Amino acid sequence: MKLDPRTKLFLAVAANSVILSAPFAYSVLMVALPAVLLLFERKWKLVFSFFLTYSVAGLGFEYLKGMDLGMAGTLVVATAMLAYRMMPVCVVLYYIMVSTRANEFMAGMSRMHVPNKATIPLTVMIRFFPTVFDESRAIGNAMKMRGIRLFSLQTLKNPFAILEYRLIPLLVSLTKIGDELSVAASTRGLAPETRRTCVVPVGFHLQDVVVFVYCIAIIALFAYSRVSV
Amino acid sequence: MPNVKTTGKKSSNTLVRDLVNVGIFTALYIVLAFLSSSIGYIPALIVVSTCSIALVTSIPMFLFYIKIDRPMLCCMLLCGIFGTAMLLMGQGVLMLVICLVIGLLTGICLKVFRKSFVGLFLANMVMSLMSSSMMLPLWTSTEEYLSYTRTMCDEGYVAHLAELSQSYWPLIGIYTFGVLGAIVGGFAARRVMKKHFERMGLTR
Repeated sequence: MKLDPRTKLFLAVAANSVILSAPFAYSVLMVALPAVLLLFERKWKLVFSFFLTYSVAGLGFEYLKGMDLGMAGTLVVATAMLAYRMMPVCVVLYYIMVSTRANEFMAGMSRMHVPNKATIPLTVMIRFFPTVFDESRAIGNAMKMRGIRLFSLQTLKNPFAILEYRLIPLLVSLTKIGDELSVAASTRGLAPETRRTCVVPVGFHLQDVVVFVYCIAIIALFAYSRVSV
Repeated sequence: MPNVKTTGKKSSNTLVRDLVNVGIFTALYIVLAFLSSSIGYIPALIVVSTCSIALVTSIPMFLFYIKIDRPMLCCMLLCGIFGTAMLLMGQGVLMLVICLVIGLLTGICLKVFRKSFVGLFLANMVMSLMSSSMMLPLWTSTEEYLSYTRTMCDEGYVAHLAELSQSYWPLIGIYTFGVLGAIVGGFAARRVMKKHFERMGLTR
């Protein structure tokens, strides 16, 4: 199932606004949408483990948050919060990253009359989040082989060393990738002043309408519950 | 070559490279800022967390400032995208405005001092104000920020924040630590530049 890039942007905004502030009942309704959409992308395992962690963390968080727990408690609640509030946001963004090709995203943005100067960095940024983590993981493995770990006595003795061993290789490889990417982009005629064409048809269909209506309905419900209290 | 424009402008190839660099470094900045600000979950370290953000992000930012050709545009874009991301994460419009102003100031620093160490250093210090401003709503609109945190954290943490918001000293502390982190990070970044990046030819 294919959604329009603009619908996905709307989904991201709507999901963030509900997930970050609403109680569990509304949040779970909102989270169900990207989960179902990810099922269409055939990510069974991810959706299952995500939903399990999310519900456990969410229920635990709702139970714990009214109490004053001290420092250790704050750490537990913060972890639950990350799984309950931040993880769904990341999953929505992950869905957008997995399902949207760069050219579709650019076509959608240019339909919304966003200038290319803003679209190019945004596209690159969305493409680069996974790359940052991949590269970082690879560098971490390489450093583990040399006996340099993130949490060890040696690191505690010299915290700057970890910056030097982890951050600098990451920067070097990312800038290399970036240079190659910009050369590849300009050979394909990507320039701020040109208007690009797109092979994939971008437009609103029935599924877009369904997503829009669902999001608006949940936001309206949530707003109504706020007003009536 | 007939297709080459000679309008005296910089070529659009370097513009694309700049824009791609903005994308990469924004992604990196957001990831690093979130990772290094997470020590703020320990209530005693809230004030110091800005220092760690400035410290960790100053090395990538130095590289970013050196790599770009159009400081004004690039810094505005980086800060604008960061501000929009903050807006999505639930911060107010004030944050976006602050981000844009700081982007402008950073661009001016780089424009005036070129790519000398002073320019990079000042730009980095101004940029550190942006990540420090994430806590600003706690003082400007206390109630809203507290109820926003209440949806995120337990009562003990919120009570600690409420206690902090009573006086303006922690706010001054947050900014001071941010700038301090940027100063230490700036000197560290200069050493790293000399030791690694210049040798690899990345600073061109």
